[in-house]
Formats: sequence, structure tokens, C-alpha cells
Amino acid sequence: MSELTFAQIDQTVLNTLERPRRSYWGAVALLALGVLLGAGAWTYQIFTGIGVGGQNVPVVWGTYLINFVFWVGIAHSGTLISAILHLFRAGWRNPIARAAETMTVFAVCTAGLFPFVHLGRVWQVYYMLPVPNQRLLWPNFLSPLMFDVVAISTYLTVSSLFWYTGLLPDLALVRDRSTGRRHRIFRVLSLGWTGAHSQWLNYSRGYLFFAALATPLVISVHSVVSWDFALGVVPGWHTTIFAPYFVAGAIHSGLAMVLTLMIPLRRIFKYEAIITMEVLDNVAKTMVLTGLIVGMAYGTEYFIAWYSHNPVEWESFRWRAMGEYGYGLAFMVVCNVLIPSLFLFRRVRASLRCLFAISLVVNFGMWWERFVIIVGGVAHDFMPNAWGLYAPRLVEYCIMIGSFSLFFFLFVLFCKHLPSVSMTEMKETLHHDG
Amino acid sequence: MTAETPIMGLFTDDAKAARAIRELTAQGFGFRRAHGPLPSRRIAEALGLKTSKVGWFTLVGGIIGFFTGFSLAIFTSTQWNLIVGGKPIIALIPFFILGFEFTILFSVIGNVVGLLVCARLPDYKGLELYDPRCSGEHFGVLAVCASGRERELMDFFQKKGGEVRVFP
Repeated sequence: MSELTFAQIDQTVLNTLERPRRSYWGAVALLALGVLLGAGAWTYQIFTGIGVGGQNVPVVWGTYLINFVFWVGIAHSGTLISAILHLFRAGWRNPIARAAETMTVFAVCTAGLFPFVHLGRVWQVYYMLPVPNQRLLWPNFLSPLMFDVVAISTYLTVSSLFWYTGLLPDLALVRDRSTGRRHRIFRVLSLGWTGAHSQWLNYSRGYLFFAALATPLVISVHSVVSWDFALGVVPGWHTTIFAPYFVAGAIHSGLAMVLTLMIPLRRIFKYEAIITMEVLDNVAKTMVLTGLIVGMAYGTEYFIAWYSHNPVEWESFRWRAMGEYGYGLAFMVVCNVLIPSLFLFRRVRASLRCLFAISLVVNFGMWWERFVIIVGGVAHDFMPNAWGLYAPRLVEYCIMIGSFSLFFFLFVLFCKHLPSVSMTEMKETLHHDG
Repeated sequence: MTAETPIMGLFTDDAKAARAIRELTAQGFGFRRAHGPLPSRRIAEALGLKTSKVGWFTLVGGIIGFFTGFSLAIFTSTQWNLIVGGKPIIALIPFFILGFEFTILFSVIGNVVGLLVCARLPDYKGLELYDPRCSGEHFGVLAVCASGRERELMDFFQKKGGEVRVFP
């Protein structure tokens, strides 16, 4: 990276904003179709009723909540990379920080849709907002679901503002290198940023505070998500390790998604000199750590169930491994713990194919982890007469496809219209190295 | 009052820009602003910049947020005066979670307001005396001189290793 110059960094990133090829618009159109499929399925559900999904008694929380937790988790590593690693002065995060932050914003947007989808009568969403109303009804802030509303709204606001603030100097650069309509748009978006000394003084301070505030927030948000379950008296859910377990899992899945996005981005945009193999190597090493933490959490859950001598708890965990969804537990252990351990080998970390393949495997495994936790808890709780099973239906599959399409649709649009690598932070790295 | 001519010296190295800033006023020229593609410690030291006041906005935002979150939770639960889940009407531990989230939210809003106020953004007029190269790889030093001393100021910047841009 030290061979790069400021001009080369600018040129490499600005080249990505050139007029896209037809294949790009083809990909955008395909993803837009996916979004329409999801929107159509949701519309059908609104007009027909929430019963069109596979949710039932006792499994009242199905793929909508699984996808909610999955996407919130994906969002987490963006903040890890942009905020926590910024505070630790880890220079290797600079080339991927912008894309990871963007991933966070879009993943939270996607996650935020699922409580609406799950509501059924979505037009009554205002019940969750503390607004004065005729019947003097207010939200119950003792409920973890209300903690969640506040936490996710805060996270979306904070991550969006953090992302936009980080973009300011780069928006100014695009403004200075463009003409016509693009120049006019970026002139407004960059707020008249000129890189004056007083602007940098306040920007650096403000950015540091952003990072310092986003760090406890990111840990609190997934802790709050975990309390949606842990505060319910359900075997398999009612445990104190859920908060750290969920946070570690979130970062693990988010790092996997970073690799899933960065490897094609690096190749398509010819970012090899910026997103070096060392950067991807460091992400992979971090995944070894998060994978081991997740593995320890899986083991600790079983230990707690066994050591508690609580027959209901033990039966719940026995059923998770040996029951109808035993394959889900196998997926999560193999995909989230064993396979990422291959990153211990330098040869695996040095292979782009292995990095990409393992990142996909971890994404798959982390989705199944949420399935095992959410469905596994309520499907097999205290009373054998109330046990039941769950399988998603077509509407849920369509909405799930829609959510993945929406995330990638937004990300693909971002990549060609805004700088996907922070030129300013890259220059800072180069400046310090020099 | 004599007319002032704004002239910018453009340097590829922040150390040269910082040296120019240090010597500018000693030569009888007026310093206006320094621009750059990244925050430079050398330029900040040359200018003797004080600490930013953004943190005060963040702190005030955080304090307001904590009390707003806590008060909102207390207000709403006293409006529906029923014991839920065996917890007291004013349950401090769950309400602390709301207080915490609001603290972060309002701190960040305060931080953004502080950044905009202290950095005086949006500022589209600042673009009138600005060179686009300053967002790329140049550090710009904007100075003014009395009418008739333009040549001197241009020579000064060139001697310090910079390029010169004269604004009309």
C-alpha cells in the first residue's frame, strides 16, 4: 500500500463512479425484481392475513424474526470495523471501513422491515410509538420488545449519521472532480466542505466521539435483541449468556458478510492495491477469534443445561441435537465453528476462493443458528402436549428473497454512485506510513 | 481602507505548508485559511489551534438524552398505573436501558449539531476562495496582501516550494 500515491487512490476510487456497463443495470434490474417479489408477497400477506405464513401455535416466531436477528447481526461488524477498530487505531480497517459502514446502514434498514412484516396489521404500527392518542395508551417500556424498538431506531439513526459524516470529505472530492449534474448534486451533498483547518479540527473530534458512542451502542443493540428471547421464560432462551453470545455471533456473521461483499468488489473495481490480501487476512484472523467465541457459547449453553439439573432445560437442549431440527444444530456448529477454524492455516487465508467460500458458509450457518434458537425454543417448551413444528411457507420464502435482494440492490446502487472506499482514510494511512 | 488580494499557495507536502504558515505573518501578509485533503497535525501545530468545542455539544446532548429517556419511561408507565410482570410501576433497571439508548441517540445528535455549528457547515460561500486540488493531494494556504504586494506574496509561496493561485 505504501507504493500508492494520493492521486492513485483518488483515481482508483473515482474510476468506480464511471458510467456503468449494461451488465450492471442487468444486475440492478434482477435485484429489483427480487425486491418486487418480496413486496408483492408482503402485500398479499397484508390483504390475506398473517396466517399465510407458517407461524403457528406454539411456533409463533418464524422466519420473519430469524431474518430480523440475522440482518441486525450482519449490521454489527460494520460498526466494529468503523468504530471499534478506529478507536484501536487498526490501520488495516481503513480500506474496508466505508463499505462495512454502508453494509451496516442497509442491513439495519432491511432488519427494520421485519417487525413490520411480522406485525400482521402493520397499519397499527404507531402503537409502538410513544405518541399522545385518544385512548391514553402508551407503550409498555418494561417489555424487551419496546427496548428493541428504541435500540434499533437509535442504531439506524446513529449508523446513518456516522456513515454520512465519514462521507463528507469524499463527497467534496467527487464534487471537485465532476461536472454538470453530478457536480451540482455533490455540491449540495458535501455541504460546502473545503477541508479548511477549522473543519478538520472539528471533524476529527466529532468523528472520534461518533466512534466512542457507536461502540457501546453496537454492544447494547444486539444485547437488547438477545433479551427479546432471554427475558422470556422459555427453555433454551432464559439464560444470562445470551447477550455476549448474540454480540459475538453478530460480529462473526458480519465479518463473513464483509468478506462476501469485499472479495467481488475488490475484483470488479480493481481495488487490489487498496484492499490488499493483508486486509482480507486480518478479517479472516478476526473470524477465527469470533468463531471460537461463538463455539464457546454453544458449549456453555449445553454445560449450563446439564449443570443446572433442570430436566426441562436439558430436554430442550437434547431435542435441539437429536430432534427434528438436529440438522440445524449440525449446520451451525460445522459452519460457524469448525469450517472458519480453517482460517488458522495461512494457505486458506491466502486463497480468495477459500475466503469467499467460507464466508458464504458462515452466512448460511449463522442463519441456521438463529433458526435453531428461535424455533427450537418455543417448539419444544414445558408441556409435551404443546410441542409443535414449523416450516416456512411460500410467502415467507418470497419475503426472505425480497430482503436479500433489497440489501444487495441498495449495496450495488451505492457502489456505483458513491465512493465505496474512504479516500480520506486511505490518505491518512499513507500519510502516517510515510 | 486598502484593497486586499487573496492568493493561495498550494503545497504537495503539509510540512512545507506548515512552514509557510509560520513565516507568513512575519513577512507582513495576512493568513486566512489552510485547506487540505486530510487533517494535518503539522498545520494544526503551526496554527496553534485550540481544542474543538464539539465535545460540549455531545455532552449536553447526552445529559438531555438520559433524562428524556428516563422521564419518558416514567411518564408512560404512570399513565397506565398497573403492575406488569411483578415489576414496580417505576422500574429503574428496565428504564435505565431506555435512558442509555436515549443518551447515545441525543449525544450523537448533539455531536452532529456541534460539528455543523463549530465547522460552520453548510458553507457554500467558502467555495469561492477555494482550489479543488485541495481535496486531492494539495495543501492550500490562503493568504491576503495589500494591493501592490501581490508579486511579493507569490514569490514567498514559490520560495517555500508551492504553486500559486491568484483569486480575482
